[in-house]
Parts: sequence; structure tokens; C-alpha cells
Amino acid sequence: MPMETSKQMTKAASKRATASVSKRMSHTVIEKWKDFSFAVPALLFMGVFLYYPLGYSIYLSFTNWNMTRPVKKFVGADNYTRLLSSPDFYHSLKVTFLYTFMDVVLTLAIGLLFALLLNVSSSRLFGFMRGVIFMPYYVSMVVAAMVFTWIYNGQYGLLNNVVSWFGMDPVEWLNNPSTALPALVAVSVWKGVGFAMILFIAGMRGIPAEYYEAASIDGASKFRQFRNITLPLLSPMTLFLVITSFISSMQVFQSIDVMTAGGPLKATNAIVYWIYTMAFSEFKTGRASALVMILFVIILLLTLVQFLVSRKKVHYEG
Amino acid sequence: MNGLMDSKGDNRLPMKKKSWLLMLLTIFMVITTACGGGGGSKTAEGEVSLDDVEAASMDMKNDTTPIKIQYWHAHADAQLEGLNYMISEFQKKYPHITVEPVFQGGYPDLHKKLSAAVAANDVPAVTNVEVSSLANFADSGVFADLGPWIKRDEVKMDDFAKGMLKAYAYNGKQYGFPLIVSTSVFVYNKTMLDELGVEPPAKWDEIDDFNAKVTKKEGDKTTRYAFSIPGWDTWYYDPWNINGGGQILTDDMSASAVENEDSLRYIQNFYKWQNEGNMHMGFGKGASDNMRQMFLNGEIAMVQHTSAMLKMYRENADFEVGVSFIPGDKVRTSNIGGAGIVMMEGAKDLEKEAAWKFIEFMTSAEQNIKWAESVGYLPTRKSAIESEEGDQYFERWPQYRAVYEHFDEVTPRLQHPAYPEFSEVYKEVVGEMVLNKKDPTPLMQEAAKKINDILADYE
Repeated sequence: MPMETSKQMTKAASKRATASVSKRMSHTVIEKWKDFSFAVPALLFMGVFLYYPLGYSIYLSFTNWNMTRPVKKFVGADNYTRLLSSPDFYHSLKVTFLYTFMDVVLTLAIGLLFALLLNVSSSRLFGFMRGVIFMPYYVSMVVAAMVFTWIYNGQYGLLNNVVSWFGMDPVEWLNNPSTALPALVAVSVWKGVGFAMILFIAGMRGIPAEYYEAASIDGASKFRQFRNITLPLLSPMTLFLVITSFISSMQVFQSIDVMTAGGPLKATNAIVYWIYTMAFSEFKTGRASALVMILFVIILLLTLVQFLVSRKKVHYEG
Repeated sequence: MNGLMDSKGDNRLPMKKKSWLLMLLTIFMVITTACGGGGGSKTAEGEVSLDDVEAASMDMKNDTTPIKIQYWHAHADAQLEGLNYMISEFQKKYPHITVEPVFQGGYPDLHKKLSAAVAANDVPAVTNVEVSSLANFADSGVFADLGPWIKRDEVKMDDFAKGMLKAYAYNGKQYGFPLIVSTSVFVYNKTMLDELGVEPPAKWDEIDDFNAKVTKKEGDKTTRYAFSIPGWDTWYYDPWNINGGGQILTDDMSASAVENEDSLRYIQNFYKWQNEGNMHMGFGKGASDNMRQMFLNGEIAMVQHTSAMLKMYRENADFEVGVSFIPGDKVRTSNIGGAGIVMMEGAKDLEKEAAWKFIEFMTSAEQNIKWAESVGYLPTRKSAIESEEGDQYFERWPQYRAVYEHFDEVTPRLQHPAYPEFSEVYKEVVGEMVLNKKDPTPLMQEAAKKINDILADYE
């Protein structure tokens, strides 16, 4: 019977083993649920105010709902095909990209310039100057837009007053299809440049001084130092700024709403503003939801591209 | 120093990429496999007839259960005094009804909130609606048909100005009554025109002569325009189109008519007058302020504007202000503007009864002159205008006589649920003409195609 006993013994051992495994398992399961429970309030909030509306607008994008009609008729991909085949869509896309490109490039370039100029920690004057440049960042966009509407006014605006000193004719800045978009970009750049500057300065201060010392011992010029040390080591900060300002420029809305209402002649009809008019003045809620989804995918893809490119180009120190 | 992203990031990324790819693939599959739906178009014509309507209940009328209703409105500050007066008078008459006025911003804001309220199934009993949006809302069944109450209380419908009443009817049903009514008129600098010895034109073929006498130029530059027509709102030039014998849509409202020969007459004239430097036209945001300022400065002799602005002009001009009805050609009409008062279909029965009493009171002949004067809009009731109170009103506001001589020529706007959308298309043509000095005739052909697309898309 030794066989028998050993069999029994192994059986018992394996039983004990499973019991302890399942005990350990259940323990970790409980742990996991406990962890999860801490996230529930946040998830609930996100669920109600983000995931549910997101899912619902995906559903709406396949209907022809107009917000008031009791029936939401399913129209398949009709909204998508109509949008993707309409010239207005490509026009709005162009406007949005043009705005985003000008906004991101100018904000970052000017921000970097200010950062190089004002990165002096010992001087009170420079600290004050940084404060002045940063100030527009905490002015509300609506307020800024109203002030700039007055500055750009064709009849009594400040800008035309300045322009007239140089003998130029007054321009209807916001009512001229070729100047309206740059005028909007200027407001956004004015507002955002201080933030970019502060982040660039923070980035510059994180670069160890040894690199510069070593470079100057090797006889590198200031410009070479900037190009080969400062710029590469600022790249994580630049990536952060590019992505955040890219996403916010793609969604430009407030300034358009206040200053141009998408005009003149759709010259500033960026996608988000178009979504708004489509949903809330033409009451094409279904179509507007489809446009929201398209914009979502575009931003997602482009952000992904930025990440991929950045894997090659961004240098992390150390 | 040259370290790239850490290894963790490298592992995570392909995973992410895959799931996004999957999601994208799903989206594209849905887009390509699902198919579109069809649809038809509707006409909005048809006189209101109460023959088949069942009268509202009498029991309801006499019910005095205390009830509170909300009135959503877009009355600006200057009109609030008048509104509060009306509400307090109303509550004296019906002590069991409490009306709570809720200001919801301008018309666009009000409309957005109304839509949201309908979607949320929590509506006010009674509300304003801007006249051009009535069709859109009525088409979706948002407003209640007033027919049953009109029939029960035997409202004298022919006492209202015909066009004003019709503007709040749709598909043969009366959805509301005109509450604050305006129309576009020519406001002119009477002092200046008297000095020049000219009268505002009543017909299109008098306009060239008017221009020759009024326009002032220095070289090629106009220093004083004969007149200005607002380009920023189709409300101002839709009647010009009609007056020239044209149409916006064909009779059955199935296709664009803006490109037809007769429909182009007005804009070809605009183009001519603009190129000659006689006509000023503003377009886009802020254009209204500019036109106003130029008129008050004497740089424009006559501006087409809403009659609701008359008070503002009278208060700010340092010259005498006159009003004339816009000139006609084949016909002479102007479109109704402003807002009406309507009842929400989603309200409860008792609320609807209270809402009806409020609507009837607000638009009644007894209060008509007082209400109109306090808000600066036009009276709507013939009996009120012909009363003694009406005479006194015209003594204080002689300018409005010009409108009342054409009382029944104040016509509804084109009623089509897609009007807010397709009117943008021909407005853009006007914009191209004003801002880029382009010839509108070929552009209107393009516009017609777009309008037809929108109409086909509408269902």
C-alpha cells in the first residue's frame, strides 16, 4: 500500500496547495477591488460627464437628430460621407490647420526668443519683464477678444491709428478675408507667448552648466552652444509645448465667436466653431456629432504622429 | 546625454498603436458599410383653417387652481419695464396664475436653450421665438397649435395685421401670435434731404435720380453715400428680391430660385449702385455699428434698418429723422422681424391653459399700443391703431405712419425649416460682392447648386 499512501499524500498536498493558491488569489482579487474602489468616484464622474456623452455622440453621429425631433432616425454613415465630400469641410480644415500652424510656430518661436532674452535670475528688472510678458496668459480669452475687437476696428480702432502714422490706409482687420485669420492668431500668440517663455526658461535652468563650460573650453561659439546644447536639451519641453498648444489651437473657438463669428466669408470658420454653428444655429445635431468624431480622429492621429516623430528627435538629459 | 525614451515607453507604444489601429479600422468599416437614408421635402403653404379643430375645454378655462408658469423671453433691459407692467396687469386679471419671466439672452441663445429644454423634456409653458425660426421648431413639433383655444375663445383673427399673423402660422396651423414686431424701413436724414429738396424714393426707378442728387464725391472717393443696405442679414434684402419680382425658392419650395433672371434684378442693381459709389453696404461683425455711426455723422443720407432702431436714431441724431417704407418695383413689401409668443407642446394641460391666457393678454388689442410703445416695436392690432390711443401714439411717433400706410405689405419671411442654413449661401454672395467686389450674377449660379444640395439633404 505504499503506492496508495503516497497517492493519498500527494492528493492531500495538492489539495492544500490549491487551497492556499486560491486563498492567495482571492486575497489579491480583494486587493485589486479595493484599489479599484478608490478610483470609483473619479471613474463615475468621468463616466457621466465624459464617456457616456462621448458614446452618445458617436451614436448621434449616425442619426439625423435635430435636438428637438422626438425620433432619432438612423441614417448610417450619411453624415460622414456628406461631410467628407463637402468642400466646406476641407475649407474649415484648411483654416484650422493654417491657424494652428501659425499659432504654434509663432508662440514657440517668440516664446523661445523671450526666454533667451530674459533668462537672467539675478535681476529684478528682468523678473518684472517676465511678469509683464506672462500677464496676458491669465487674461480671459473673451476679455482679450473684446479688447482686440476694438483695437482692430476699421473706423476707430487703435491699430489703424498706429498704421496711419506710416501713411497706410485704414484696414478693416476683422472684416477682410485675408487679415482676419492672422488677426486672430496674433491675439492667441499675444496670450500664449508668456507661458511658452516660462516653460522654456524652466527647461534652460535644468540644463547643467558643465555642458556649457566644457563646450566653451573646446572653443564652441555661443551660437554653437545654443544649437548643440540648449536646443536639443530643450526638446522635451518643446514637445510638451507643441502638443499642448497644437491641441488647443485645433480647438480654437472663443476668439472666433467673439471677434469674427467665422467670417468674413468663412475665412475664420475653424472646425470647432463650425461644429457649434451646425449644432446650435442650424440644429443639425447628428451632422455636428459626426464632425466632432472626425475632428477627434484627426487630433488623435496627429498627436500620435508627433509622439512617433518625437521618439527620434527628442533628447532626454542623462 | 543622448538617451532616448526609456524602455517602458518602447514596450507600450506598439500595443497602443495596435488598439488605435483597431479602433480606426472599426470606424472606417462602419463608415464604408453603412448606407444613407432618403427623404422628401415639404411645403409650408396653406391658410389656417379652424374647421376641423376641436375647441379647447371650457372646464379648463374656468379652472382656478393656483399655477405657476415660466415665460422665457429675449426682452432686453429697455423692454423690461413694459414687460413687468404687463405681467402685473395680467396677474390682477388672473390672480391664480403666476408668471415667472426668465431672460434667456438674445434670440440665438434663447433658441439654443429651448432646444436643450426640449431634449431634456423640461420646457417652459410659454416662450418667445424669433420669427424666422418658427418653421424649424414647428416642424419638429415643439410648439403647440393654438387652434383649439382660438376657436373656443373666438379670437378676432382679422384684427391682426394679416402678414404679421401669417408669419406665425406654419403648415396651416397657428402656432403663435406676433408680439414684438419690427420691419425694415429706410431711416433718413430729413434735415439733409429737405435741404437738398429730395424725397426718399418710393420706386426703384427713382433711385438713380435720388443718388445723383444726394451722393457727394471727392474724385473717385465717395464722401457721402446716398443710402446704405445692410449686407450682414438676409432679412434686409430678401424683400428687395421679392419686390423685383423674384423668389428665393420656387413656389413648391423644392428648389432654389435665387439664380433666376427676376431674382437677380435686385442684386445686379446693388452691384451697379455699389460700383458707382452711391450705395454703401456693410458686411460682417461690427458692420451695423459702422453704418449707424456713418449715418449719425452725415456720411450716409439714408439707411435701411429695423424699425426697432428708430428710438435709438431719434435719441442720437442731431438732425431730424424721417422714416420711409422701402421702395418697390413690381411689388412693394418689407419683411416682418422680431419675435412672437408661442406655447410649448411639452407643457402640462393646466400650464397650457395658463399659457394661452397669457398669450392672449400680451397680444390683446387693449394693451397693444401701450406694449408696443414701451418696447419700441410696432402695434399689431388694427382696432388699436384706429383707436384714440392709436392717434396719440402717431402724434408722438409720426415716423411710424410710413409703416402703417403699408400695414398689410409687411409680409412673413420665407418659411422653411432649412432657411437659417441655406440663406447663408446667398448671403455669402453678397459678402463676395461687398468685400471682394465680385460680380454677383455668376456667383448666384454656384449658390443655387449649394442651396439645392441643402434642400435635398433636408428631410
